[in-house]
Amino acid sequence: MTGSVFVQSIGFGLVTASILALASVGFTLQFGVSNILNLAYGDVMTACAFAGYAVNQVGGSIAESLAAGAGFGAVASVLLNRLVYRPFVRHGTKLFGMVVVSLAVGIIIQNIVLAAYGATFFSYSFPPGRQVHILGMIFDTFQLMIIGLAVAAMALVQLLLTRTRLGKAMRATAANPSLARASGVSTERIVDLAWLISGALCGLAGVVLVLNTSAFQSATGSGFLVVIVAAAVLGGVGQPAGAMLASLVLGVITEVAAGFISPSFKEVIAFGVLVVVLLFRPAGLFGQGSTVREVAA
Amino acid sequence: MSSATSYYASTLLVYLGVDIMACWSLNLQYGVAGIYNFAWVIFQAAGAYTAGVLTLGPASGNGGFQQYILGLRLPYPLPVLAAGVVAGVLALLVGLVTLRRLRTDYQAMVMLVISVIAVLVVENVIRLFNGPAGLSLIPQPLGSLPLTTLGYQWFYVVLTAATCTVIYVFVHRVTSSPLGRALRATRDNEDAAAALGKDVVRLRLFIFVFGGVIAGISGAVLVQFIGAWSPGSWAYVETLVVLTAIIVGGTGNNAGVMFGALLVPVAFNEATRFIPQFGRPGLVDALQWIIIGLLALIFLWFWPQGIIAERRRRFPERPRVVRSGEGT
Repeated sequence: MTGSVFVQSIGFGLVTASILALASVGFTLQFGVSNILNLAYGDVMTACAFAGYAVNQVGGSIAESLAAGAGFGAVASVLLNRLVYRPFVRHGTKLFGMVVVSLAVGIIIQNIVLAAYGATFFSYSFPPGRQVHILGMIFDTFQLMIIGLAVAAMALVQLLLTRTRLGKAMRATAANPSLARASGVSTERIVDLAWLISGALCGLAGVVLVLNTSAFQSATGSGFLVVIVAAAVLGGVGQPAGAMLASLVLGVITEVAAGFISPSFKEVIAFGVLVVVLLFRPAGLFGQGSTVREVAA
Repeated sequence: MSSATSYYASTLLVYLGVDIMACWSLNLQYGVAGIYNFAWVIFQAAGAYTAGVLTLGPASGNGGFQQYILGLRLPYPLPVLAAGVVAGVLALLVGLVTLRRLRTDYQAMVMLVISVIAVLVVENVIRLFNGPAGLSLIPQPLGSLPLTTLGYQWFYVVLTAATCTVIYVFVHRVTSSPLGRALRATRDNEDAAAALGKDVVRLRLFIFVFGGVIAGISGAVLVQFIGAWSPGSWAYVETLVVLTAIIVGGTGNNAGVMFGALLVPVAFNEATRFIPQFGRPGLVDALQWIIIGLLALIFLWFWPQGIIAERRRRFPERPRVVRSGEGT
């Protein structure tokens, strides 16, 4: 492999890392605050991508498609929590039951999309972007936009969590819901907000994922879920900063390795990295060793 | 019974036997020991592939239209036993990575990741098991018997029933023994079980491997009947079908999950395979999956214990401790 291919694969890695960061930060933020493992996340991503596609079909711009995806994701996630997950938790379903619930919800969403759109592949039709050369790497304008979007979103999430009262309340709810409640935090609103932010990130990730790949269908999001979960576990579940770092690591490593070996082994390499890290740091890069926590829905 | 009905009924019975073994296997891991095995289907697949390559014979022998490793033609019970061994070894490896130090929520996630990755590996390393096309034309065991097609069908039903019976003896021995009690204790209260001196990790590893062996055997019985196996047969969602069957039938209860196997995979998935297709292609499949998902949700909401709930075990109170000098 020549040097220029190596540099170019780092460029691809940055794009992959950006998509992964949007998705895994949303996934891990919601899990950290509410402690519900939402395995339907990938399928919500697919639904958001189709929402963006619908806007694209009626002549919407990229910005409008992104907004539609983010808006759809935010609303759908809050509704999912309010109408399905929270009732189940209040009904007394335990942690494992909730995992099965989310898996079942994911299957249902995926197959509703399949029933509605059929088993064919779709792709967005936006006017093609220009090519830009940066430090020997070639990007098209879409990819630069994806990187910019991810950097902006990551900065906003980090600022929200560390610099605002709202962020403090979120971190408090994540660390100890009953104590947060006793200290005057309206945990129910905070949890709703976490689902809202997570859903918006999920929507953005869904639209940029299919923007960057040529074709998508009803199983695209659930296929990507594995990498999201790998990034979240690698970073330490519930740790947005960890997920950001893990996304960068996984994104660059998988793309560089894809250049060396074969693109079809991307996920396998991501998994290899995950297993090696977990063998030495069972709680992930940033994770704490805490064990069982109560569910805050 | 017309021959078509007879053929259909015998096919469904074989599927039922396979699904019952599948439910026992995952029920041991999840229902009895509380392990979140979302990778269950890879152990069934490991068994199916093993049995496949051990009955197909050398890969060069069939014009090279499919490629796979090993390629032996072993006599009947050996491929099934080997399937159990290979699945058990795989379970041991997966268990050593996931069950020792990881938090339970991490375990669930890592299992899910493993399930998807395994499919990707088999799809992309074509020389393992013929890639996405999978193995086909796997000969049926004891095919030289002088039987009609229909006769062989019912012969295979008997063979499956016999395998189920043998498996049940082992499953029952585990669940009704002190070992089963210890496993249920680790499920209900891990810390208390550890405090009483139970080695939680070893117990879980044992039942994980034991369940894995049964999963492998179920895969072998299935593949020798249908004669083909490909990555499409073991997507991670297949684990959800078995899980739904267990939840519907009665988590932790061997008889309950048998009933679940009859209701969910057989009644919903196999028996409905022959209803006429309507709408666009794939619509009926999509609706089936939606129903499976709804079934899991409905049962978790209304009857989380399932149709036949796990028996609450009561133990006679031990005689009071008698102070020395007062009693015998």
